[in-house]
Amino acid sequence: MRHYELLTVLKPTLTEEETKAKVNFIREVLEKNGAEIAAFQEMGTRRLAYPIEKLERGYYSVFYFTAPATAILEVERLIRITEEFIRFMSVKYENQKEMKYWNKQVEKFAIEEVPEVKIEETLPEEAPKETTTEDLVADEVVSAEDTMVVENTDEVKTTQE
Amino acid sequence: MAEKRKYARKYCKYCEAKIEFMDYKETKMLKHSLSERYKIMPRRLTGNCKRHQEMVELTIKRARAAALIPYVVNTKQIVATPFDLLNQ
Repeated sequence: MRHYELLTVLKPTLTEEETKAKVNFIREVLEKNGAEIAAFQEMGTRRLAYPIEKLERGYYSVFYFTAPATAILEVERLIRITEEFIRFMSVKYENQKEMKYWNKQVEKFAIEEVPEVKIEETLPEEAPKETTTEDLVADEVVSAEDTMVVENTDEVKTTQE
Repeated sequence: MAEKRKYARKYCKYCEAKIEFMDYKETKMLKHSLSERYKIMPRRLTGNCKRHQEMVELTIKRARAAALIPYVVNTKQIVATPFDLLNQ
């Protein structure tokens, strides 16, 4: 596992939903290939220093993550295929000084996991109640089915006779 | 000391700021080592130390690839304040 940074530039012509979808697409690909995303920096739409494909602006976003080398290969392959990405830049952080900067950036732009934790805390409280009611209902259903089965068997017997 | 120095002595600005790692996304730091036409300035003109000059070269090349800094500036493209334009 090595420490990396991946900058991508998206076309500015996309709608907000589409850009979000593309950013999430990268996130999914990284996580599938065994990467742990530490931070995400959104630089937003910026003016490009020179026109690329006749476009003047671009949407910048940066990922900081740790991943095996194969993950980088896969992500870069997919970015090259997708037309919406104008540019990308992946940088490897190796020695101590670089790592220090990486950690600093991660602290700065760390992904806020607080809301997710809250959801997890609230769920178990609600969950037991639901299960209890479901269990009760399930029991009733089972008992009803049992009786039905019994009745059915009786009927079968009678018909056989 | 027969003659006085006519202009200030050159020194490495990055050493003064104690920079250990340069980020290509922060173009402000690269400003010292770029000419008006966005060429990389040689060490003999800027006074950068060897270590920092090598770092500057690498980061400028990265920034160019990411379209944060232009590769060349033609006579047609010249603007009064190019850095302000980029930071919009």
